[in-house]
Amino acid sequence: MTLPLGIDFEFRKLIMDVHIGSDKIKYCYQCNRCTDNCPVANVANPFYREVTNWFDPRLIVLGTLLGYKDIVMALAGSKSALIPWGCTVCDTCDTVCPQAIEVTEIITLAKNVTTGAGLAPDNVVAQAKAVFESAKAIPSQPAIERRREQLGLPAVAAPDVNEVQTLLKNIGVDKKL
Amino acid sequence: MTEYKMFEGCTIGNRIPFIEASSRKVLDKIGVQTSQAPFTCCPDPTGVKSFDNMAWLALGARNLCLAEAEGKPIISLCNGCTNTLRGVQHQLKHDSLKKEKVNAELAKIGKEFKGTIDVVHFVDVLKENLDKVKAGITKQMSDLKVACHPGCHYMRPAEWMESDDPMRPKNLKEIVAATGANVIDYDELALCCGNAVAGPYPEHGDAILKQKMDSIKKAGANVIVVNCPACFQRFDTSQRDLSKKFEAEYNIPVLYLTELIALAMGVSSEEIGMKNHRVRRNTAIENL
Repeated sequence: MTLPLGIDFEFRKLIMDVHIGSDKIKYCYQCNRCTDNCPVANVANPFYREVTNWFDPRLIVLGTLLGYKDIVMALAGSKSALIPWGCTVCDTCDTVCPQAIEVTEIITLAKNVTTGAGLAPDNVVAQAKAVFESAKAIPSQPAIERRREQLGLPAVAAPDVNEVQTLLKNIGVDKKL
Repeated sequence: MTEYKMFEGCTIGNRIPFIEASSRKVLDKIGVQTSQAPFTCCPDPTGVKSFDNMAWLALGARNLCLAEAEGKPIISLCNGCTNTLRGVQHQLKHDSLKKEKVNAELAKIGKEFKGTIDVVHFVDVLKENLDKVKAGITKQMSDLKVACHPGCHYMRPAEWMESDDPMRPKNLKEIVAATGANVIDYDELALCCGNAVAGPYPEHGDAILKQKMDSIKKAGANVIVVNCPACFQRFDTSQRDLSKKFEAEYNIPVLYLTELIALAMGVSSEEIGMKNHRVRRNTAIENL
């Protein structure tokens, strides 16, 4: 349910469940160390540079911690939005956080919510499609197979694509592609 | 002697297999045995995980099941694959709710994740066998001034990877130094190559790579050594565009750690397919 303040408890619960032990995110005191050490914020934050399109992990943590799904999703509401898709998954924020909050996992959840709404960047969707269709992010190609042979390498062991498709369909991934 | 299940990953296996060639050569020479398994994509901790975390857990767990069935540990040639397989293992071992959910899905395809095998990065295997690596070296790499780039997912998140200092990594430097090459320190050692953000936002990816390259140039390195295929491709394929975009010269050759060691062990560059690199070799490498 959504209160007039825009707090979405379902979304907040999703965020809480990201962490093993569940409530770590509550201990964020907004020190900004995540953003200070974020390589993307460093090149896309008006505090550091003159840019109009900005990326700020601290703000994502605040918005999700308070359950402000509307705010987070307003930022994430267009295709490939910089929040959350600007995250380069370097895990630096997790490392420097004094409260051991897994910021990257929170951003991952925000990304996951947008993929359900068809807002993921094309390259991410293309990779998920390739994995669904061939069980590999990069499908096998004849030219590379020949190169492997020339290098004296064994052929890559072929994965069980049917089994992978069954698994992914049961999870509902095919509907998001 | 432990036999590992080889996890070459999609990028190395199906795009830049010459890295697998040097890796297999080096592992052979230090007596590490491997065998194949029909692994799927790990899947990518920056791509599929961002798309659907449950799919990431389930596919990762399925790969772990394949190795568990043989009771053998996995050796990975790639930061991303190691990160996924160790991350999935970490989350499922410490979060019983996630494990129950994943195992309910795996049960439908006749599998169960138990968490009985280990996943190791090839850098850690080389470090563990450093005496054997040193014993195999026939050619000192003393002309090389190496900027090491271990990449994010080799050591972060530290709780999953348990490999190295997450912000001041030293394992790669230690192994590179064992070949007689000079390890050059530079300020941005722990900085990301910007690969994942470069997909949707090339301008931010390039700005990060520029920061990294400027730091490497300033330190006077004549080669970059990496242990991740995504970082390898980023450095090897993007320097020319970066030079055009910022009107500066970026043309430092990139070696995979196993290429450096293979060369130091007397393997020829032809044998390990080094002609497939994009950045032209400079004299420091030609002279090896």
